[in-house]
Amino acid sequence: MNTQDIVILKDQAVADIRAAGTPADLEAVRIKYLGRKGLLPVIMEGLKDAVPAERPEIGRRANEFKQEVGQALDAAKAALTAASSAATRGHFDTTIPGAWRGLGQLHPVTQVIEEAIRIFSMLGFTVADGPDIETEYYNFDALNTPGDHPSRDTQDTFWLDSGELLRTQTSPVQIRVMESRKPPVRIIAPGRCYRRDTTDATHSANFHQIEGLYVDRKVSMADLKGDITFFAHQMMGPNVKVRFRPHFFPFTEPSVEYDFSCHVCGGVGCRVCKQSGWIEISGAGMVNPKVFSKVGYDPEACTGYAFGMGVERIAMIKFGIEDIRLLYENDIRFLSQFA
Amino acid sequence: MKVPLSWLKEYVDIDLSPKEVASLLTFSGTEVEGIQTLGGDFTGVVVGEVLSVSRHPNADRLTVCQVSTGTGDITVVCGAPNVAVGIKVPLATLGVTLPNGLKIKKAKVRGVESFGMLCAEDELGLSDDHKGLMILPPETVTGTPFAEIAGPPETVLELEVTSNRPDCLSMIGMARELAALLGRPLRIPDPVVKEEKRSVESLAAVSIEDAEGCPRYTARVISSVTLAPSPRWMQRRLTAAGVRPINNVVDVTNYVMLECGQPLHAFDYELLEGRKIVVRRAREGEQMSTLDGSARAVDSGMLLIADAARPVAVAGVMGGAGSEIRDVTRTVLLESAFFKPSGIRKTSKRLGLSTESSYRFERGVDLEGVEWASRRAAQLMVELAGGSAAAGVIDCFPCKPARKRIGMRFQRARDLLGVDLADERMVAIFEALGLTVCTKEALRCEVEIPAFRVDLDQEADLIEELSRIHGLDKVPSPAPDSIIIPGADDSAARALLVCREHLVGLGLSEIMNYSFLSEKLLNLVGFGNPGNRILLPNPISADHTVLRDSFIPQMLETLGRNRARQAREAALFELGRVFFKRADGKNGEEDRVCVGLLGPVGRSGIQKTQPVKDEDMYAWIKGLLEEFCRALHVESVRRGGMSRMNLATAPCDHGCFEPGRAVSVSVAGESCGVMGLVSERLRNEWRLVEPVAVMELSLAPLLKQVGRVPVSSSVGAYPGVERDVAMVVEAGVSHEGVLNVVSGVAPQELVGIRLFDVYRGENLGKGRKSLAYSMTYRSLDRTLTDEEANAFHDRVKAALRKELSAEIREGA
Ligand SMILES: [Zn+2]
Repeated sequence: MNTQDIVILKDQAVADIRAAGTPADLEAVRIKYLGRKGLLPVIMEGLKDAVPAERPEIGRRANEFKQEVGQALDAAKAALTAASSAATRGHFDTTIPGAWRGLGQLHPVTQVIEEAIRIFSMLGFTVADGPDIETEYYNFDALNTPGDHPSRDTQDTFWLDSGELLRTQTSPVQIRVMESRKPPVRIIAPGRCYRRDTTDATHSANFHQIEGLYVDRKVSMADLKGDITFFAHQMMGPNVKVRFRPHFFPFTEPSVEYDFSCHVCGGVGCRVCKQSGWIEISGAGMVNPKVFSKVGYDPEACTGYAFGMGVERIAMIKFGIEDIRLLYENDIRFLSQFA
Repeated sequence: MKVPLSWLKEYVDIDLSPKEVASLLTFSGTEVEGIQTLGGDFTGVVVGEVLSVSRHPNADRLTVCQVSTGTGDITVVCGAPNVAVGIKVPLATLGVTLPNGLKIKKAKVRGVESFGMLCAEDELGLSDDHKGLMILPPETVTGTPFAEIAGPPETVLELEVTSNRPDCLSMIGMARELAALLGRPLRIPDPVVKEEKRSVESLAAVSIEDAEGCPRYTARVISSVTLAPSPRWMQRRLTAAGVRPINNVVDVTNYVMLECGQPLHAFDYELLEGRKIVVRRAREGEQMSTLDGSARAVDSGMLLIADAARPVAVAGVMGGAGSEIRDVTRTVLLESAFFKPSGIRKTSKRLGLSTESSYRFERGVDLEGVEWASRRAAQLMVELAGGSAAAGVIDCFPCKPARKRIGMRFQRARDLLGVDLADERMVAIFEALGLTVCTKEALRCEVEIPAFRVDLDQEADLIEELSRIHGLDKVPSPAPDSIIIPGADDSAARALLVCREHLVGLGLSEIMNYSFLSEKLLNLVGFGNPGNRILLPNPISADHTVLRDSFIPQMLETLGRNRARQAREAALFELGRVFFKRADGKNGEEDRVCVGLLGPVGRSGIQKTQPVKDEDMYAWIKGLLEEFCRALHVESVRRGGMSRMNLATAPCDHGCFEPGRAVSVSVAGESCGVMGLVSERLRNEWRLVEPVAVMELSLAPLLKQVGRVPVSSSVGAYPGVERDVAMVVEAGVSHEGVLNVVSGVAPQELVGIRLFDVYRGENLGKGRKSLAYSMTYRSLDRTLTDEEANAFHDRVKAALRKELSAEIREGA
């Protein structure tokens, strides 16, 4: 036995391993070469007959043989096991339905409110709040509404037996905020409002508004235009245009109404904008000095703007909702579209 | 208000298209809601005379008419109810296309051939009237081209005038706006009345008993009028403006009202007892019948026009039946007056009667223009009705108020608008609007306000005029500044946002219901205290009569509605306000959250098909509550090594829940709400057969810690040792009871306890159950030995034996 014999033996062993098709075959190969009565022990046995000078080299080779053949056997066995396991465990369907507890979603009205809060927060507005059950003073008187203004009628307003009323607008929050702090003021006030409107596709007796108020030493109509335009771009997209029309509200002077260009047709005219290219959003204006006087602000020392916007209206245009009643019907198939 | 463009052009030169005019008005504050074209090309439409009318042989409602076209006779089938022999009617001949798009062709109508069409006003595009044929005056010559009668096509703007601008409720008012916008002169007619010698004072007298309600009253007398239809041009204008022509006298009053905004009333002078007008308050119990034929009870809050004997008109609202203009009227007493707006508004409201006249008076007419209107109407009555006007006018105007003067600082205007506007431009705008700039100084000007501008009374109002006329589009729209307001705090609002986000993260979808609902629904659920509810005295419908004091009724309704629409599951929440009478009797409101669960919401994937047991549903809603509270940083209490949320429950036996399957919840010792499985009785109302869980919590106690900043502590570097315990206990022993016993004796090293098995079986004996827990012991400073862990565990087991008579199953 010499080193050459060992190399030949190794080649034989590798060939045998390759030929083995089952774990039993492999076991036979292992026994043939590495078993107690296998070929390797025979080599080791012959070592004592070898020339003393060759002994270390033969020993080293024999060890090498043992290691390499052992590794080859392990690898072949692993490969065979893997193949057989795939066969026994069968097909793995990676297309099964996923199963993780799902997320819910916010109501579209809330989504618009949260988005508005996010947008105005960027400008330093903070959120203010007021009660749904208001006094006549906050809802009308302090807002310079004439005593016999039709909006005060039982026809339009939900009066309560207590003499209070369900607020018809979020504007009373303006008064509450100005009564409680000195200028500068930068707030938005989202909330529920109530009017005795007969419910139809665009009217709901229970609806939401977002009030905005900015009072400082030198606030101008230009500031109002700039801020509303910024809001429009953030809420509806950068290509939306805003236009302002003079209007009349008792609590602002000058008063304006503003429209957004239709984001569906880009202003060309379509079903959503009733072919006009524009969608009326709501009213705004410069705070009437009479309102400042009511809350104890000096109308000479400050100016301000205020706006109110209908949340449902924005949600309807933003999400393409055709009937306001869908927003209060709570059909989960409808709501799940706003995830 | 409807404004025919041709009428406007009488007062101001307009060379813009109707669309351009509309845009100009819309962007100066008077919204143009529509542009209507009346009439059109009437080639081929002639005046036809109906010669004979016979029943259609095959149709009850149709007639067959012989109609003269002036050049021949043709047969026309007609469906109008007012067809009659001898009438003159617009006749559309063959080949004509009418303004409404209808093409006239020879056609067989139910077997009879028709060679044209007799037209109604709507078919000619002259109005919306389709009651019957448009019958022309008998003197109209048969065969006249209809275009000669109808005149050229008219463009009508439909305006929405804001309530503060009564001066715009007239042609001259709108012309004034356009004149200012276009920088063109305004032409106001200067009426001259051909008067007779007799003075009006010799014919009539006026006395005002309530000068506050009626600061000015004028009267003229026009005699020898001949009632007849007004001339075509006037009828056309009135029709285009939406007012039906009646006769020359009444039409003149309406015409002048539309022209200048001053409502006028014409009395039959002969019917005025004592030839006298008395402006007075109504007497208690007084009755009068108005022009519309109704008998009306008037009260002392209302202003009447009376003669020497009886009321003849409700001032500013409607005339009386006993003094109205008749066909035989020969002499007219013409009223032009100013009535206090608030008085008219009250009267109109109380009588439930709103007229063109009351609409204008309640907004405020031009106190200074009262006489002009009277003069203008007299002029037209003389011209058009052949009348003869008595000399002069009775003008009761005891107290002429001085005109308002308002100062305006030029720089203030520039600052408020944020636009660079020259002083001169401002002055020019005021003058173009008919205001008088009395003084112009370096920094300010003073403006005198004519009476027709009832809306102007402070500096800001003048600045608004500048922005309107100069144009809001010329105000710049700069990029916004972010401005931080020191001390601003909206953490309360943020907390609600956080709440909603967590609920969504927990898999719930937000719903929104009205704040009001029916008492029936509230009572069905029976939640809250009916005596403390806030009722709506004036609801819009029977379904919305009470403010909600709980979300649960609408939540159940919502679940039921979705179930009925085949939803298999729903996990919903609503966050908002409830309303109730507080202990002190005042109205109160509170923020709450409500959760509703239906179907296998706690399972995922194909496991959803397994039936949902009460235990499952309860565990889900409870788990949801715990996770929600954890997310909101609800305060924890530590007992031994374990930390638990300070969340306590107590049995709740409210009838809307299944008995024994609901609890009231308190957070950090504060009562917070309820949670449980909905009773079968209620579920049946909406055919919900599976378990349904609801929870309603007040937000205030939950949100107290929401902004708390967590403080970290070591989680320990050494491994824990797990020891299990299985025991048989009485069925009444609760998990909470086990926790209490364990935490009572637990060392610092007990850091976890987990229930992993509950078993009830015959073999355990009646009324007994088996519970299995896994406990984790861990030390922060060393690895616990088995002996140490066993010692701790033995102590726990001993306590369970002692306190709960637990039968510990060793070696299990
Ligand atoms: Zn569009």
